[in-house]
Order: sequence, then structure tokens, then C-alpha cells
Amino acid sequence: MSTTNVIGKSITRPDAYDKVTGGKKYPVNYTLPGMLHMKILRSPYPHAKILSIDTSEAEKLKGVRAVLTPDEVPKKYFTPVYFVPYNAPSMVQDFILLSDTVRWAGQPVVAVAASSEDIAEQALELIDVEYEELPTVFDPEEAMKDGAPQLHEASPNNIAKNPSFEFGDMEAGFEDADHIFEGVYETQRAHTCYMEPRVCVADSDTDGRITIHSSMQHTFGLREKLAVALDIPESMVNVVKPTYIGGGFGGKLDIGFIEGLAALLSLKTGKPVRAEHSRGEDFISTTRNPIKVYLKTGVKKDGTYTARQIKSILDCGAHATHGSEVIMVHGLYGTFFPWKCPNQIWEGFTVYTNNMIGGGYRGYGAPQGCFAVESQNDEICETLDLDPIEFRLKNTHREGDPHPVLEGHKLASYKIEECLRQGAERIGFDKRQAAGSAEGVKKKGIGFAVHPLWVSGCVGFPDIYEHSGATVKLNRDGTADVISACVDLGSGQISMLTAVVAEELSLSADKVRIVYADTDTAPFDAPTHASRATYSAGLATKAAAVETKKRLFKAAAAVMEANADDLVLEDGKVMVKGVPESAVPMTDIIARAESPFIQVGEQGPAPTTIAEKGTIIGTASQAPPSNPSPVGAQFIEVEVDTDTGEIEVLRVVYSADVGQVIHPNSAEGQVEGGFQQGMGYALMENLQFDQETGACLSADFLDYKIPTAMEMPSNIESIFIDSHEPTGPYGGKSMSEMCLIVPAAAIANAVYNAIGVRITELPITPEKVLKALGKL
Amino acid sequence: MALTSVQSFYSPEDSKAVIELLDKHEDSALIVAGGTFLHGLVSRGLLSGIEALINIQKLGLNKIDISSDAINIGATTLLGQLKNCPEVKEQAWLGAIKDAMEYPPTQIMNSGTVGGSISSSCPFFDFPVSLLALDGNVQAEGSSGSRDIPLEEFFAGLFENSLGSNEFVTGVRIPVPAGSTTSAFIKMETNANDLAIINVAVCLSMSGTGDCEQARVFLGGGVGESPVRSPSAESALVGTKVDEEAIEKAGEAVLNDLDPLSDHRASAEYRKAMGKVLLKRALASAMQRLS
Amino acid sequence: MKQIIELDINDEVHELAVEPYDSLLRTLRDKAGMQGTKKGCDSGGCGCCTVLVDGKAVYSCMTMVMSVEDKKITTVEGLPSEGELDPIQQAFIDAGAVQCGYCTCGIMMATKQLLTDNPKPTEEEIRKGISGNLCRCTGYQKIVEAIQLAAASY
Repeated sequence: MSTTNVIGKSITRPDAYDKVTGGKKYPVNYTLPGMLHMKILRSPYPHAKILSIDTSEAEKLKGVRAVLTPDEVPKKYFTPVYFVPYNAPSMVQDFILLSDTVRWAGQPVVAVAASSEDIAEQALELIDVEYEELPTVFDPEEAMKDGAPQLHEASPNNIAKNPSFEFGDMEAGFEDADHIFEGVYETQRAHTCYMEPRVCVADSDTDGRITIHSSMQHTFGLREKLAVALDIPESMVNVVKPTYIGGGFGGKLDIGFIEGLAALLSLKTGKPVRAEHSRGEDFISTTRNPIKVYLKTGVKKDGTYTARQIKSILDCGAHATHGSEVIMVHGLYGTFFPWKCPNQIWEGFTVYTNNMIGGGYRGYGAPQGCFAVESQNDEICETLDLDPIEFRLKNTHREGDPHPVLEGHKLASYKIEECLRQGAERIGFDKRQAAGSAEGVKKKGIGFAVHPLWVSGCVGFPDIYEHSGATVKLNRDGTADVISACVDLGSGQISMLTAVVAEELSLSADKVRIVYADTDTAPFDAPTHASRATYSAGLATKAAAVETKKRLFKAAAAVMEANADDLVLEDGKVMVKGVPESAVPMTDIIARAESPFIQVGEQGPAPTTIAEKGTIIGTASQAPPSNPSPVGAQFIEVEVDTDTGEIEVLRVVYSADVGQVIHPNSAEGQVEGGFQQGMGYALMENLQFDQETGACLSADFLDYKIPTAMEMPSNIESIFIDSHEPTGPYGGKSMSEMCLIVPAAAIANAVYNAIGVRITELPITPEKVLKALGKL
Repeated sequence: MALTSVQSFYSPEDSKAVIELLDKHEDSALIVAGGTFLHGLVSRGLLSGIEALINIQKLGLNKIDISSDAINIGATTLLGQLKNCPEVKEQAWLGAIKDAMEYPPTQIMNSGTVGGSISSSCPFFDFPVSLLALDGNVQAEGSSGSRDIPLEEFFAGLFENSLGSNEFVTGVRIPVPAGSTTSAFIKMETNANDLAIINVAVCLSMSGTGDCEQARVFLGGGVGESPVRSPSAESALVGTKVDEEAIEKAGEAVLNDLDPLSDHRASAEYRKAMGKVLLKRALASAMQRLS
Repeated sequence: MKQIIELDINDEVHELAVEPYDSLLRTLRDKAGMQGTKKGCDSGGCGCCTVLVDGKAVYSCMTMVMSVEDKKITTVEGLPSEGELDPIQQAFIDAGAVQCGYCTCGIMMATKQLLTDNPKPTEEEIRKGISGNLCRCTGYQKIVEAIQLAAASY
């Protein structure tokens, strides 16, 4: 690849200065004069019928402007997930803003808008709701049984979805096996813990048009879902893209309740309405779905897979929402296709319970799958005394193989062997001791996990939006404006888009600005999710910059009296290729293109000469060409205190093929931050609920623990394998989710190596360790 | 969530004024200083009907007085002040306090006060357990004057204590032990900003010949509605050299006195087992400190 | 009932109408219009709201505004001096320690006290110094590096 201007060079993040001086542009800071504040009354019961609601006392409270009850909400059931159509056949349409049946403790019942937050909160206490309690079920396997309490009429036995895949001959496959391994692997609810709460300000025009600011991951998804929730045409909603948000990680990937309720209250009052979740509300609004995986694998003595049977039970809570897609991604990309096995069957169940609803979360079903498969792979290697690296390589795809899911595509960049070998070398894997052989109370162990198949977007998934678009505009001062609906979650989309445009237009990064965008003015872009922004939004934005350059060359050709095809752009100058003395500053060309038709010069008025008048602008809207797989392996050293069960992570090495790294500093940041979330998932994070009342027991950071700087290992080492994805922007692929798919399995395997006992249920708490050691 | 019932915020400058305000507002008044515990209660919806907040930070109680027979710590002394107190840093007998001050994050050290930590009567806090091991007293003032309450008699269940209706905590008093005394504290937590899953404080007074003359062993965290003492562990220690064998016996003995809670953070079974492990470690640490 | 108080924020006196139960955080954000201080949990668990009171880092969500009326408040807006970023701010940019940035201001304020008290902290001391602050994006590694970088110029 030729020398690049900014790609691969870690430009200073364009958003960093603003963020270190106070960060003005978070949605949480957005206010409008005269705006009202909304609060939500939530159900204390996990399953009940609402018999009556009396809001009369609340409405009398001074400062209360409007109250919204289930009667006033359009009776339209839809899918709230941003990245699929609201009525996508592959999803379940069971979601509504307010209902007269509550199915989880915390479900919104009434919304109040008042002149202050305090008054809105006081008003909630004056609302009288009469409930008839209904029987509850919290365990998905109980919920599937005949006679269990039913949550939704349309779903007998509470099964919202039941997809399956199969190929080969299962019977022959297991017969062919020398050994059969069976295990059950369970994962818990984990919260994304974005730091900025879900927040929005909805405003309505006199014609009923809504403008909304919100902390979310998808501008166009919010437009579509809000229009559906309000039962108005899509064009009656304008969503303003937040300049940046305070984290998302998948937790802001669906319209929750606040946007719809605030918009309805704005329509009702004619005032802007602001709503902000408390941290407690955030904790019960989105979660990684817990999945229980029954895994049976047949292998030959030499470690070759012969057959694999997988059953996955996903607890989606009271509404299917993401649960109907997470199960698919978990099945296809989390368990079924990453590994090469000739005979496989997978069956998934998305099951309703009276638990909180699930959400998106970085990795989307794959961490649960990886934990199961890689735990069992470790077990296979231990039992059959196989080299764990060679075992993985024997059963994974290799570079150049056909893509296991996308017909007609291949794994063009796929350096799995290098990932495994370089990671193993860095951690000193060949020196690891036999499992459980360490001496003393504190025992060290090394383990690893690899996830051999992931995505750079959603090409190939049914019903999922994928296209991206952008407009790039050159200004007379030599700067470029980029209009893109792609939201920066903090994971560096601003830097990435800036780098792509700077590279394409030969500008320094400080000449490129990602500017205001809303759904009225920007081309559609799918959400920032599914590790797709670099690949899909990056490619579309690059294409827009190419269009801009073409237009620049047309104008330049007229000014320079040259052939547009012969022109090149270097250091802000247009020149005929190979003729440096022909160089004209780009700013001159832009000025000429945008000048008045007749310009007054020293010799008086004269017509400008060029025909190519107008703004130098380019737009692209396109689907990405493929869905290349990033791949990564994580090696971990832990120390287990066998008296207390406490686990300390000492060292982390992550080696990955993400194609050409666009912004190395941000790429490392993804690995390091992904590990914080993965380590929390592995060791401590757990959204817990009272099994009788359904009340959340971990609704703040006192009870929902995530790693602080003290628990984190002092060094997380990233190795990026030299690689180039032919279909990617400048050879790049996406990477974010991979960093969180592998840690739990890698830590579990390291813990096994330390103590010689395997823990198959996350989180691996000190208590579980002691139990496993037989000390409790 | 805000405590919207509050109508008045007072910052009186002497205790007489505090007592008058407590008399005036009765149950609807609350003493505050750093505000950390108050906010914890409010954000969990555990507080209602409070109309007056009485800030005692202007009473001049933020000081540590050291005399030959006692250390007096004013109620509004910040945990951070206590941590930086030279005696706490250096004296083996104050080791339990030094250890307890290692856990909270900076922000809590700068807001949380000694008086608040005690009077909130929260069994999951650290400082009270270390103070129990050191046989501390609570100093309280009310309309009938001031009195010292042994800390052991002060706690009366979850968020409950033996303060009278118009009494408030003005400080704590720790008697300086005679002879060779050492103490230590250990807490089990999930991350560095956590309430104790379980915590243990020990204080050992050793004779010139290295025999344990007195032992005080207290446990907090999820062990009960108030911290608990372990007489069994104490008697297993007294008369010994607190060597490995004695420590092992004390570890076994403490189980007799533990009947902890099971909750979403840990089971009773685990807490009990950790009571033993942490006690052994605290004892070893206290002895290490002496040498 | 609202009361008028005077609050010294970043060496400027602000006259503000507050409720007797208002937190310093709410006062700063909603009444003084200083939004650099963030609300992340409003219960002393995340550290996004960290500010300095008389030079010491506190959770402003837990601090009653009426109790700091006579004290000096420093927020992120008060970090730069004479138009120049504080070395801590510059280091956070240079080390790439800012991702979503929502925790950043709180962590920089905790860092301000840390480096004022201890200009050459060890890595362990740095980690302890920011243990009252949560970050979900960075894994803290580049934050620790940024603080080391800032310490080099303190």
C-alpha cells in the first residue's frame, strides 16, 4: 500500500479538546427554553393487570402540565430495535409504550410532564393505580413448561422465537467420534453501563412535527420507531444526530420508553419535554440477554470435530425486542459457524419471562456462545491431552476459505494462525504449567480463547439495515465538511470519518470537520453497532469524498485547462500528474467554482471563465460490498486466591487481525475498554432481581459492580497482525465487539489452569470458586 | 431523586443551637455533615418526611486531639484527615484505623466524616468496626448534657442506635491502651468502591513476654444488623503468643459467633467462611505490625 | 423554599436560587449553567460529577450545596489558566485517554487533587487516586498513561 497521509497514524481525536474542556455537546446538556420535565410511574409488580388509574390528584399539583396514561397511547405493537424495520418478519412485534398489562417490575404505567423534575416526581406519588396481580415466572425453562403463566397470547409456552439450523448427519457424526463432551454453560444479565444516561428532549411544531435530541446509537432508527410509536408519517419526525454521546455499547440501540412518551407529552402540551433516566431506570432498561447453552460435541482422538449439537435458551424477559435477533446472532456467529464441524445442529429458544427486557450489548449473543464453546474446547484439549493452539487451528477456517455464512464471499483477510501464535508467544504460553499444579494459596494460571468468526456489519443478515451514506463538501477556506448520520459512541467514529476524508482529499486532519446532521438533511446510515461503522460508514464516506474529488477535478480542469483524468491532489494542491509546476491551490479552484458569475476585477467586470460552477460537493449512499470477519485471540494470566476465591487478572495479551488499522490509538482503546467490560462480565457483573417481587437488587453502582482502575491489570497488550482487507476502507475492517467476545472464556480457561476446576456459570465469583474447590 | 420534603437547611454554630433545632423539628430533622450517607438513603428511597437538615460542620468539630490517655476525634473530622493523622499512620495500636482508611476512594475520604460513619449505624461500613476493636466511645450531646456511650452499646440494629431524640454525635474517644498493643482491619470487597461483603478488625494487647493479655475481635459487613463481636475467637487468643496455631484456633472459633446474612452479594455460608479467613489474615497482619 | 446563596465557582461569585435540598451537582449544572460536571449515577458510584471543594475532590452529587456556601468550588471549566489548558487536560488529549469522554472531566478533577498532593505518583497511587471514578470505554490504561504524562510536567 502506498504511503498514507493520516491512515494508521493516530490523528489527535477531533472531539478530545471539547471533551476535556467540559464536553458541551452531549445530549444530556441539551435544553430548550420553557421545556417541561417528564417522569415515569413504573409498575411495582412483575405481572399484573391494571384495573384503574386515577391521576386526578396529580393533575391538581401546581406545575403539573400533562399526564399520559395507557389509553392515550396509539395501540400499535412494533419492534423497537433500531436496526430492523419496525414490522420485520424475523422479529416479534410485541412492544408498546404503555399497556394495560404489566409484565415486568419497572414497566412504565403513567408519564407526567411538569415544570420541574421535582414536581414531576412528586406528582408520581399522587397517582393511584389499582392492579390485579397475575402469576409470575422468572426462569425461562420453567416458562416453557405447559401450565406456566403465559405472558403473550400469541406465544404458547412463552416461546417468542424458535430458530434452528442443521447440516450433515448428526447420528453418523456422533458415531464417528472417539469422545463425546457434554456441558451446560450459563451466562447472566450484564448492563452496558454507558456513563451518560438515556436522555432526550422532544419538541413539537404547531403542525405536529417532532424534533428530537436523544442519546442513542441510531438517528434514522429513532426516526422510524418514533413515527411508528406515535402513529405519524416518518417525515413528521426529525432526529438530530448527537455530536457525540456518553457511551452506548449496544445499550442505546432501541427506542426505549422516554422518547415516545416525551414526544406524546410534547404534542399534548405544545412544549418541549425533556426526560432523563435515573441510573436505576437505566439498569432496568437494557441488558445482555442471559443464555443457557447445552453443548454436546463429538471429537476424534486427534481433536477433529465430528459432530456438534447445541441448544440455547435465551431469557428475553417481558418483551422479545433484541432477544429475537440476539438468539440468531448467537446461533450463527456465536456457536454454529465459527468452527468447522461437518455435522451440526443448533436450536435456539427466545423465551418470555417476567424479567426485565433485554437489549443490545457489544458482541450481541457471541460472548455467551464463545464462553460455552471455548470452555468446552479447553476441556477437550485437557481431557485428550491435545495442544490447544493446534486443536483450534485444526477446527477453524483459514485465510482464503469461503465465508461460512455469506455465499459467494471468502475470508480474504483472516490471519487466525498469526493471532494464535503471536499471542501465545507474547504471553509465554509454552511455559504454562499443568492445570491445578501451582503451589501455595495463591495460584497462577494461563488461558486463552479465540473467536474465529465475527462481522464488519450486517451484510447477509435477514431484515437488518446496512447501507450508509455521507455528503462531503469543500469550503473556500480549504476545509471539508462531512455530513454523516453515523453516531460516535465514543469508540472513535469522528476520528475514523475524519481520517478517511482527510486521506481521500489529501487534507490534514484539522481541515476536516464532522458537522451538524439530522434525518432531514443527511443520507440514511444504519446504526453504530455490529462492528460496522469503520467498514460500512467508512466506505460510504470515502465514496462521498471520491465524488467530491471528481467534482473538484472537473472545476480544476476548467481552471487549469487540463484534462480532469490527468489531475491529482497533493498537499491541498491540484496538479497535472507528474507536472509539479502546474499546481494550483485547491482553495483557488473552490473559490472560482463558487464565485459570482461576473466578477469585478481591476479591469472592471468580467465573466468568470469556468463552466463548473457551484459547490464542490459529493454524496454517496451505498451498501457495503461484503462482511469481512475480524478475528482475535486473547491470552490471560490470572492469580486465584484459593482461600477466598478471589481472582486477579495479572496480564492480558490480545492479538487480532482487524485489517489495516485506521487509528492505532483508538484501536488499542477498543481492546483495553473491551477487556474492562469482558473482565466485569467474567468476574463480577450481574444484574440481580428478587425472585418473588421482581425488584432489581443491583440498580446502582453500589450493587452493580464493574472494575475500577484498581482491579484492572496494569498492562493490556494489543498486537495487530499485519493484514489488509481488500474490500475495506484502506484495507480496514471493524473490531469493537471482538474485544468483548473473548475475555470471559479466556478468563474462565485461565482460572481452570490455575485451580484445575472449571466454572461454567458466569460471573465467576469468589464464592463459586470456593464451591468449585470444595471449600464451601 | 431529591429530598423535596426538606424546607430548611441550618448551619448552626454551637451545639446548643443544634439541640434546639432537634427539639423543634423532632423526627423530621436530620443531622448532616458530608452528606454521603444521606444521599445514599435518598437515592434508594429510604428516607421520607425529612423537613430540616442540620449541618454541623460549623461547630468546630473537625479536629483530632491527642492526649496521653485518649485520642478524641471530632464528629466532622473527615476520613481523609484521620488517614493523614501522624499517630494513625505510625502507631501499631491504631493499625485497624489505618487499614480501614486505605479502602475508600478519594471522594469519600474528602466528604465522609467520622461522626457520620458512626451515627449512620450502617453495618456495612468499615470505620465503626475498626473503632469497635479499639474499644472506642461515642461522645453525644443533648438537652440533658453530654455523655460517652461505649460503641458496643451504641449500635442497635440496621440504621438504629441508642441516641436520644435530641442527641447527636459530637465525636469519638479512643482510650490509649497500656503496654504493647497492635490492631488490624481487613475488608472483602468486589471493587475498590464497595461496601464490605464482610470485614474484620482485631486488637491485641501483648504482655512483655509476648503473651496475649487482651483480644478484641469484631466483624462487620453482612454479618448482622450491627457489627458483631467474637468472644470465642478472643478467648482462643488470650494467653497465647498469637502464633500460627493460635491464629488457626481463633479462625475456627470465630465460626461459633457468626450467623451472617445471605443476600445478592454473598451467601451466609460464604460470609462465614470468609470471617475465618479474614480473621486469620487480620491477626497475622496485626502481629506483623508489632514486629 | 428557594434561597439565594452566593457560591464561589472557579474564582467567580455566582448568586443562585437553590432549594435547601439541592446538591452541588444540580446547582452547577442546572442553576449555574456549568455543564462540564456530569451526572452519571447521582448516587456517589461513578465519579462523573467529581469537583474540587477547597482543593479536595468530592462527589458533587452527594454534596449539599448549602454546606459549601463558604467554600471554593473548582470545576473542569476552572482548570485552564490564562487560556492554556491544564497539563492534565493536554495529557488526556495527547495520550488518547478520551473516548466517549463522559467520565473524563470527573477523572481529571480527581487527578488534579492527586497531582497537587503527590506530583510524582506511582502507577499504584494513580490507580488508587482514580478508584472513585468509573470509566466504561478505556479500561483505564490510557487514562493512567495520561496521568503519568501530566505528572511529568507537574
